[in-house]
Amino acid sequence: MTETHPYIGFEKYSEHVPPSIPLAVQQATSRFVGGRAARVAELPQWGQLRRIGSDIRQHTIENMDVYLTRLEEKVAAAGGHVHWAETAEDARRIVLQIAKENNVKNVVKSKSMATEEIELNHALEAAGIEALETDLGEYIIQLAGTGPSHIIVPAVHLKKEEIAALFSAKLDINAPTDPIELARIAREVLREKFLNAGMGISGGNFLVAETGTLVMVTNEGNGRMCTTMPELHVAVVGIDKVIPDWESLTVFLKLLARSATGQKLSTYTQFITGPRRAEGEFGPKEFHLVLLDNGRSKILKDPIGRDVLKCIRCGACANVCPVYKNVGGFAYGSFISGPIGAILSPQMYGTQAARELPYASTLCGACADVCPVKIPIPTILRHLRRRVAQGDAFALPTIPAPIRETANLASLALAQDWIYRLGARLLPIINPFFRKDNWLSNMPYPLNRWTKVRPLPPFGARFRKWWIVRSVKETESTR
Amino acid sequence: MTNPVIENIRRSLGRTDQSPLSMRPAIYEPRLPDSLDCEVERFLDEVKKLSGVSQKLSSFDIASALKTLVVEQNIRKAMVWKTVHLKQLGIADTLQSFGVELVSPNADKHEIAQCDLGITEADYLLPETGTLVLRSSAEKPRAVSLLPRVHLAIVRPEMLRADMHQVFAEAKDGNYLVFITGPSRTADIELTVTLGVHGPKNLYAWMMDE
Repeated sequence: MTETHPYIGFEKYSEHVPPSIPLAVQQATSRFVGGRAARVAELPQWGQLRRIGSDIRQHTIENMDVYLTRLEEKVAAAGGHVHWAETAEDARRIVLQIAKENNVKNVVKSKSMATEEIELNHALEAAGIEALETDLGEYIIQLAGTGPSHIIVPAVHLKKEEIAALFSAKLDINAPTDPIELARIAREVLREKFLNAGMGISGGNFLVAETGTLVMVTNEGNGRMCTTMPELHVAVVGIDKVIPDWESLTVFLKLLARSATGQKLSTYTQFITGPRRAEGEFGPKEFHLVLLDNGRSKILKDPIGRDVLKCIRCGACANVCPVYKNVGGFAYGSFISGPIGAILSPQMYGTQAARELPYASTLCGACADVCPVKIPIPTILRHLRRRVAQGDAFALPTIPAPIRETANLASLALAQDWIYRLGARLLPIINPFFRKDNWLSNMPYPLNRWTKVRPLPPFGARFRKWWIVRSVKETESTR
Repeated sequence: MTNPVIENIRRSLGRTDQSPLSMRPAIYEPRLPDSLDCEVERFLDEVKKLSGVSQKLSSFDIASALKTLVVEQNIRKAMVWKTVHLKQLGIADTLQSFGVELVSPNADKHEIAQCDLGITEADYLLPETGTLVLRSSAEKPRAVSLLPRVHLAIVRPEMLRADMHQVFAEAKDGNYLVFITGPSRTADIELTVTLGVHGPKNLYAWMMDE
């Protein structure tokens, strides 16, 4: 059903992270964490908001068929077109079809995780259509030809000098190294593109079932440009973005910006219900909504794992994650990184492709503390680790058999006192084979899973004896 | 006709097309307004915190305030929403008397993109966040608050709503609604806050104080 995703080698990717990335990422995350904390402190009802937000998302997931059906009706009633995309391939085909029917040559895009997910830009370019990212950070990384290192500030790993050199080379100008000047240059270049594009493509933060309304939250104004200037607007949105009604929306709008950037509200929040209604008004003549499944409906089957679909994509979990802060966004090998990526990718792409990700965590729980919709990320990480190691109703185990068997033996030994004692007596036999100075530093596979990270002291089987002797000594010394 | 996505969802959730919708969890109590003066001050303060410019203004002072704006921001071309209130204030005529060229807000997009200033009214205001809420129509096109480098919104105390609940209750049936909370901003290059990246760099909110 879903396409096979290339293997995500988190361990390998994180070994090659240049030190500049954690440095830049930590500057960004510490600013967002500070901003969030300040906003939360001003709002005494924050805990209540989170609880309601969590309850409404849970409710929406459990009744998703009803809300999506209502959404479809309302969008159609407002004069919009709804398309259902079961797979990424379907979504790409639908968007290309709309572009071809309207003879579109140039597309302007506002930042969207869903179009990253389906790798829409490649498909558009392959069809000879220019697809331009217009969020400043996305524009920069598109020029650079790299992926995003952070969900909110995707180009944070690039220095202003690098960006100036990039602008100079790609735009054939002499760009200064001043961030404000660089933003001005981007404004001018992109302004022309907005005015001349045949189609605007966006994602969406929420879909309000009550009226068929697409809600988009942005800061720069490029999202408004993409949905105001071209005659055609196509929004590609995951089915999990649906919410019941406008009253629910108030909760999520209050949670989102505060959690993401530490703003009370982002600069622009727009609410779009179908195409423009009046002549003389701007906004698109045609509005298309592509509802993307791409494995989400399958995730719904798992009552523990499906909580990942409550996510409102604020990035707060990544900002506090000690692992993310040291490896940055690239290591997660997907459009979405950080703790939420670590629980989404293994479910979306399968534990075969993403089996390392549930282990990309210290299980410290900071992510669950800040999540505005209370997704129990550590619980889902452990749930997915079990899926990787032992297999469950949704997938076969994916770790190599020797590691699995070793773990099984260990669990047997740790559960039975006599086996444990016997094993402890026997283990010192292997010391001479692996001992280097006073350490066992290089055990054979599969035990090297441990010694690769830190050496073991030689096996001694002396703990119980030492404990008894120590207690006796202590009693004597205190006498 | 059902589609495969909905069918997959129902299968995963163990539901059918007959399954009832469970009750949506209740929402908290919306915020209650303080006194009107308090709410006005809070709104003006929040706009300032967002690097916007806000002030109270009587209709007698509007000409001189516009004059200052035109000079300070070097305004040559402007467009104004065609609403009753903005006409009553004589904004378009005043601007013309200062030699500012007026462009129709319904003109071609390439033409309105040349404007330095766009003048709108807000339909609602949110004091807690300093937010302007604008609806859109042929008389009030959405591009006016977006394309020019300077956006001026004429606002009045009666547009204040305590919380977004009231705004949504009144405006959810519209075709387009936008919340504007401060000038266009980004921190995408080395986290340096930069205003006016795609939308207006300067945001003015003048509260008409009659």
